Amino acid sequence: MATKPLSLSSSPVDWRQLRRRSFSFFLDWLVWGYVAYGVVYLLTKYWWEVPLARFLTPIPIPAWGWPLVILGTLETAVWSRALGRSLGLRAFGLALNAPANNRPSLRAKLRRGLLWHLNFTPLGFFYLVREGKFIQDVKSGLEVGPPPDLYPGSRSSPLRDQWAWTALLVVVLTLWVGWLVVEADLGTLIARWDKAGQIYWGKVRYDLRYFLRPTELPLPRVTSTGLLKPDFRYLLVPDPAFELRRLSASILDLMVVTVFMALLATVLGVVLAFPLSFLGARNIMGFSPVGWMIYFLVRGFFNVFRSIPTIMWTVLFAVWVGWGSPFAGVLGLTLHTIAALGKLYSEQVEGIDPGPVEAVVAAGGSRLEVIRYAVIPQISPSYWAFTLYRWDINVRMSTVIALVGGGGIGDMLFYHKDKGNWELVGAVVVVIVAVVWAMDYISGRLRERIV
Amino acid sequence: MAGYPEGLRGRPDWLRSEWWLALVSPYLKTLARRLGIAGLDMGALATLWILISYTVIWLGRGEIGYSLVPWWVLGLGAVELAALWESFGHSLGQRLARVELKRPDGKKVSFGQRLLHYLLWHVSVLSLVGLVAPVPWHERLAGLQLAGVTAEGRVPRPWWRTSTGLYLLILGAVALVAGGSVTITQENLERLFTEAWRMGKFFRAVFNPDFSILTRSIRDLIVTFFIAIMATVFAVWVSVPLSFLAARNLMRGPLGRLIYTALRGTLSIMRSIEPIVWAIIFLVWVTARRAPFAGVLALWVHSIADLTKLYAERLESIDPGLIEAITATGANRLQVLRYAVVPQIINPYISFTLYRWDINIRMAIVVSLVGGGGIGFDLREYLRNAQYSQAALLVMLIIILVWAIDYLSARLRAKLA
Repeated sequence: MATKPLSLSSSPVDWRQLRRRSFSFFLDWLVWGYVAYGVVYLLTKYWWEVPLARFLTPIPIPAWGWPLVILGTLETAVWSRALGRSLGLRAFGLALNAPANNRPSLRAKLRRGLLWHLNFTPLGFFYLVREGKFIQDVKSGLEVGPPPDLYPGSRSSPLRDQWAWTALLVVVLTLWVGWLVVEADLGTLIARWDKAGQIYWGKVRYDLRYFLRPTELPLPRVTSTGLLKPDFRYLLVPDPAFELRRLSASILDLMVVTVFMALLATVLGVVLAFPLSFLGARNIMGFSPVGWMIYFLVRGFFNVFRSIPTIMWTVLFAVWVGWGSPFAGVLGLTLHTIAALGKLYSEQVEGIDPGPVEAVVAAGGSRLEVIRYAVIPQISPSYWAFTLYRWDINVRMSTVIALVGGGGIGDMLFYHKDKGNWELVGAVVVVIVAVVWAMDYISGRLRERIV
Repeated sequence: MAGYPEGLRGRPDWLRSEWWLALVSPYLKTLARRLGIAGLDMGALATLWILISYTVIWLGRGEIGYSLVPWWVLGLGAVELAALWESFGHSLGQRLARVELKRPDGKKVSFGQRLLHYLLWHVSVLSLVGLVAPVPWHERLAGLQLAGVTAEGRVPRPWWRTSTGLYLLILGAVALVAGGSVTITQENLERLFTEAWRMGKFFRAVFNPDFSILTRSIRDLIVTFFIAIMATVFAVWVSVPLSFLAARNLMRGPLGRLIYTALRGTLSIMRSIEPIVWAIIFLVWVTARRAPFAGVLALWVHSIADLTKLYAERLESIDPGLIEAITATGANRLQVLRYAVVPQIINPYISFTLYRWDINIRMAIVVSLVGGGGIGFDLREYLRNAQYSQAALLVMLIIILVWAIDYLSARLRAKLA
């Protein structure tokens, strides 16, 4: 191998392997970085609870600490990879192998860890260019590769491998830190049970003295009722206290508006996502530079707009077209529907059977004719199924979108919630549940028929 | 029982404890089927009329109303129109039940027969007895019967030439007009154009995010991340045992069916309530000082409902052969669970959990809108106050997080599949 000419192009580099190796390395680095975050979090949290350390200051990370953390985690990652099968190696199906299927010796492992640092010197670079291999691979005799089928004297339990312990550490740290970060407190949950009960079944004041003298004084009565005793007074009659754009409305009126919002958003979304889905399908766009560019633009649009929740878009539109108008909700829902449906649709288009497409092309069909006669018949059942699925989501979303100025039944829900009229909130919630459930059922049945 | 001689049959129907059910069930079945079809048609026609009235009232008077005629007229009209539709066309209900009016000899149904069917229908319905007969009176007297749809001898029509297609077309058009007119006001439409500069400002800010709030935002992002994880972890602990109670094939017997029905019903109600509403309730409960915890609880409730359903559906589709095989070796219930059930469900369960975690990340952002505990609250305030460059930074962070989790969970799920 040393006799090969000095050029990168002909060096026997397995790029696939190298890519997996570097990914596994970054995964290791990330894992140790995460562990470091967790440890520092716990240290700062519990520092004051260690009695000996009471007179020391807490340990915030100073500005120069960040490079230290980064370097420290890097070193940990390097040594964890050199000394055993780290989590990153395991995740990418790699292992550290000695020649002739021997188990790597500790000496070789230590050498490998030290030699890794030479990669940052000209010597390491020289090796990399000449051999096409990292210096630690050449000089330690150990190579990263797929694990041998059977180690000699192979270990039975994964708990005797390093990666398993690392994974366990990550899980335990996640749960521990998570418990602290989310401020979970079962004590509050139990202690405030009665306060929460007031939301559910209202505040009932039983004053036993009144039972003894029932004639003069008013009977003990329910001062407010809760979610579980819904008050359907305004189901059909407009609610006088609540006004939406100078128009008082009943629960039914607002629910109808809400369903209309979902309907409009779904229809608009489908109409716009349908053509876009063909532009976002690689097999339709072909492999010309223009096709690639359009493909990436459309797919990028889908991905970016999909990751921002509907409710964020609605805030933006509510500021734009008027706070509390259903139109803002429709626009927000539509935008997210386009992105989400577009992605699902275009994946369907990419998964079609190329046979009919070729047949239509062979018969001299244009691109539009290909779509009409070869693509659409193949995708239409799944398109309908996805559309119904999206309709479901939109109905659900539109019930709460009023929180950010999107209009609909949520307006009444949040209005009465702020006023503390839990019995009216309860009625609204019951209606929402009924409608959402019904829509869910209908679309489920329709989807069953289609698929 | 088909191949057995007559003497070897079990008890006759009338000797069984449910003899009365066996006696009336053919009549009840006929009635339920007819009522189902008629109910669907009446509902469909009434919906169309209500929608038309809604549009007319909204566009004409600017009010919300549901019927231009008294309610009893609407009801009677729907009933009559449904009878007409079923007699003279292939109605929506008939189509969904996959039946049509036919002559027993397979010839074309004449107009006279259809008219007779329509007129006699009133007699049947008014007497109530005629409907309960295995073949209702009006059908028998008109020489017709409701039978399964067959394709032979039929000229295929395009869907918009059929009465159902036409109905759906009109319904869709009216619904769109009604929906459009009631949700979009002129003022909003004008603002869409006059206030469009806001969007320009927003997009300019996207390229000019405010990095001074980076540390704080990342801290909020971490909270969001952990809210999703903790909610998923807690939900798994509840959902896995519950899923065995919500699986139809495992819950046999009257008690089992009762538990199954009650559990499924509760879960579907819990799922119908958005996490935001749950968050409101839990915020009052654990107070706004522990907002992240309220978020966790809200997502937890919703995740339980969702995960249990997914898990149970997976349990319902396990291969019973494996269970029988393991049972045949003399294994006890626990061993059957360990060696026949768990290997079949473990990968789908993990995969559903990862999927739910992915959803929970998005939902955590939404839930944080109602009050603290994550990145959403700040984002809402920034957007409301038109502080777009701060909002842009948060949006960027959200996109990165959602993308990363989406990618990770999709890759892991692909590996598990």
